[in-house]
Amino acid sequence: MNTVMKTQTAMRPCTRVYLLLVVLTLVTFAVGYFDLLSGNRALFLSLLVLGLALIKGQLIGDFFMGLKGVRGPWRFVILLWLLIPGTLITIAFTLAG
Amino acid sequence: MSATLTAAPPVRYPPGDLAIWIFILAELAVFAIFFASYAFARMGDVAMFNEYQATLDKGVALINTLTLITSSYFVVRALAAIREDQRKTSVRWLLAALAMGALFLVVKSAEYVHHFGEGVRLSSNTFYMFYLSLTFFHFLHVVLGMVILAAVALKTHQGAYSASEHTGMETGGVYWHMVDLVWLILFPLVYVMR
Repeated sequence: MNTVMKTQTAMRPCTRVYLLLVVLTLVTFAVGYFDLLSGNRALFLSLLVLGLALIKGQLIGDFFMGLKGVRGPWRFVILLWLLIPGTLITIAFTLAG
Repeated sequence: MSATLTAAPPVRYPPGDLAIWIFILAELAVFAIFFASYAFARMGDVAMFNEYQATLDKGVALINTLTLITSSYFVVRALAAIREDQRKTSVRWLLAALAMGALFLVVKSAEYVHHFGEGVRLSSNTFYMFYLSLTFFHFLHVVLGMVILAAVALKTHQGAYSASEHTGMETGGVYWHMVDLVWLILFPLVYVMR
């Protein structure tokens, strides 16, 4: 009984993260599917979608890869990786207009 | 996995073998270069990239994204199960994760068949060159990840992992999450952003 309760308690945050990942993915899909990326808001919404992807990546790193419980430089290794292509993509899309 | 880790005192090193993290960082660096190359190459002909991006099926990409996220979640559940010494449950979660990986490969293959049937080639234009090479490079990582997960599932079935020793499963798991992580950037970049 104690073991079962421990398992259920342990899984709740990851299940919540999973559901959040699904919702953020559906939002990304909706932005593309309903062709919201046209006109003068294309850049803003593109960068918003990129931002959602970076948040999703950090959730994977923290909760699925287990980095949330790590201290020191390894704690931020996925965040650092996300910021590098994220920044470069942002610069390229902004310059492209 | 996370709750167990967050409840415990912080540790110095990430879960799994440290060597796999070095390997993962190398893989991520290659994908980062790929992503940045795509974005900067797009600057040369935005209209062409947007035109051919519109030929991609976003619905299929959505299915594949949900498939990989779900598969990653199943691996988290497998790890949580082995930490409670529930070996059979852990194997079932791993097999479910493998099934999701197989679904990804089937859907992605069908997408390739469709594109090749339409005459799309690496040499068609710069957009398709990036689309095919980026997604196929990722495709190969899914295949490798499935081989690793299958080996982990087999070893779990054979009783190699327990609540006290499951580093091998953590190692395989973080590789699979890396495959998922890369797709989470690839999906909006190639299929949605314009």
